[in-house]
Amino acid sequence: MADAAKSLTPRKSKQVERSKSQAQIVWEQFRKHKAALIGGGILIFMYLVTAFAGFIAPYGINEYRRRPATDFQPPTKIHWIDPDTGRLTRPFIYNVVSDRDPVTRQKVYVEKPEEGKFPIRFFINRPEASYKLFGLFESDLHLFGVDEPARIFLWGTNNLGKDVFSRVLYGGQVSLMIGIIAVWISFFLGLFFGGVAGFYGGIVDDIIMRIIEIIDAIPGLFLLITLSALLRDPRNPIAQTFGLKMNSAQVFFMIVLVLGFIGWGGLARVIRGQILSMRELDYANAAKSLGASESRIIWRHLLPGTASYVIVSLTLAIPGFILGETGLSFIGLGPSEVDTSSWGIMLRDATARGISIQFVPWLLLPGIPIFFAILSWNLVGDGLRDALDPKKRR
Amino acid sequence: MIPYIIRRIIHLIPTFIGATLLAFIISQLVPGDFLNSMRLSPDVRPETIARLEQSFGLDKPWYTQYFLWMGSLLRFDLGQSFSGNQPVSAVITKPIINSLILVGISLIMLYAVAIPLGVFSAVRQYSVADQIISAVSYFGLAIPNFFFAQVLILCIFLFRSFTREYFDYNQLILPVAQMTSSNYDTLTAFGKFKDVLWHALMPAFVVATSGIAGLTRILRGQMIEQLSSDYIRTARSKGLDERKINYKHALRIAIIPFVATIGALLPGLIGGAGLVEIVVSWPGITPTLLQALTAQDIYVVLGFLIISTLLLMIGNLISDLLLAVVDPRIRYN
Repeated sequence: MADAAKSLTPRKSKQVERSKSQAQIVWEQFRKHKAALIGGGILIFMYLVTAFAGFIAPYGINEYRRRPATDFQPPTKIHWIDPDTGRLTRPFIYNVVSDRDPVTRQKVYVEKPEEGKFPIRFFINRPEASYKLFGLFESDLHLFGVDEPARIFLWGTNNLGKDVFSRVLYGGQVSLMIGIIAVWISFFLGLFFGGVAGFYGGIVDDIIMRIIEIIDAIPGLFLLITLSALLRDPRNPIAQTFGLKMNSAQVFFMIVLVLGFIGWGGLARVIRGQILSMRELDYANAAKSLGASESRIIWRHLLPGTASYVIVSLTLAIPGFILGETGLSFIGLGPSEVDTSSWGIMLRDATARGISIQFVPWLLLPGIPIFFAILSWNLVGDGLRDALDPKKRR
Repeated sequence: MIPYIIRRIIHLIPTFIGATLLAFIISQLVPGDFLNSMRLSPDVRPETIARLEQSFGLDKPWYTQYFLWMGSLLRFDLGQSFSGNQPVSAVITKPIINSLILVGISLIMLYAVAIPLGVFSAVRQYSVADQIISAVSYFGLAIPNFFFAQVLILCIFLFRSFTREYFDYNQLILPVAQMTSSNYDTLTAFGKFKDVLWHALMPAFVVATSGIAGLTRILRGQMIEQLSSDYIRTARSKGLDERKINYKHALRIAIIPFVATIGALLPGLIGGAGLVEIVVSWPGITPTLLQALTAQDIYVVLGFLIISTLLLMIGNLISDLLLAVVDPRIRYN
């Protein structure tokens, strides 16, 4: 969208009389939708931040310190006022150590101003937390950090003392990507089966529609839970046949496939309906009488006609997939907890046995990015729907 | 009407059989043999295992097993739970009822809240209240159920810690876990009913949120369309009062697609309830299903899949029939 806008503006001023292209009209309509623009902005921000998670996160995904332990440490307080001069200074933190509350004997964390100030430093190298940017460039440069022994936990730590803020950034890579990959899978399945059913009709159509009905008949959540619980076990027959060990990458793709498998029915149904009504239109008949092959008629003539509807339903399907992944992770059936993080896995930490949420409310922070991701995808989807629908143009 | 119902039921049978086949194929993904854990247990006699092997046809190919299982299903026998050593029906009945209680209460909440809200925001279109309602409904659509439940639990705890200093008590305003109080067994029948209702209040509200948000928006759109039509103007010129126009004339038409969505809502509600059940330890389907999956108690898993599919189909059927009742334009022949 963004580069479409750039290329449009100069051309418009030179040749005013030239009629607008379809993309131009849609973009102009979309721009009028303020909420959708804000949603799009939030999404671009979120995907950029998670793409650079390794750089922005001060700590590694599974980095924690055994001694002194930092479990359930509340968010670090950042000081802006110098206590000696009482004036604004560069931000700094104090070292925080654990202590026992004298009355309740509970573990509490107290600041130690006598150990001196630990200014927040920018662009530091921490070899302990090296990462690969985009999976390619090895680096240990971090946007910010503090000197040991102090540690900066913007959003507190979890039960093992891992930094929640860093894990939220890394978790976004899983939670946000899974939505996009799963939507492609259900897109291809839906497009293929919907297209075939609509074009050929008859018995093929009946069979495909019945299969969709059957998948829809079983409540989605239970199907999702059952499939991912059974398939993640490396001893299951499919994994045995293909020699899969179900390591974390394979579990990730298994979940994407399961999500896509459960979600393609609705799209296939809609595409079928559209094709059924379009294949009798003049341009389809014209292509047929010109001798075009069946696959050419389907792929070149009929499916592009469904494009606007497909784009909208795909956009609106992504939040569902994100919700599916976080839900699965939340009940412990998502990507492996050992070497990945996901927003659902992190929310699961907050429900672990023996945790009273009122004492560790920061463990709920990973829910906020889930909320914004779903909200923004919904807003963008609504905006696209209005922009692509000629009847709703303003 | 009756032939229509019969035809609909007949139409459901092949889908149901297909669903049982799909569920059974999924159950074949369980590694190894169902009886593995039993073989290792010293309490189980080899004859018992041999008998079970025989009755489930574990020595035969999977399609034979499927027909054996289908055969017993037709006799309302869902098989045997391996870990609980009791019939599957005994294991799954209670969780299903518990889940239905939760979903039922949230369905009532859904309609009790969404209908007045939708009518209100259509009648006061573009007012401040309308805009607030539509902003809140975006919020309700975007917040994941399980996260919302966690946030509410936190709020309930925080409410206590802030008010405790002033009122000196140690009670939460709402229960945040379980379905019953610890003294449940000593309560009278009405007391039991009240106790469960009291526990269901928070989770049912959470389950209903996204439905409330979605339906409020649909109903608002429908009502706005109806309110600008001719028959409403006629009713107004007759001198009917606004209340009657809104609720008796416009709402009756606007609610038609609303009724049609009950069927579509059910899976969403059941699914949404699933994760909330885990957060508040509600003894419903999902927690029990997860236990059965961990124990690889496959006939219990199959039982849940089949019974919930059946319930979903019945729900869809009822909503179709309701639609036929509400909308006189639908003819059922």
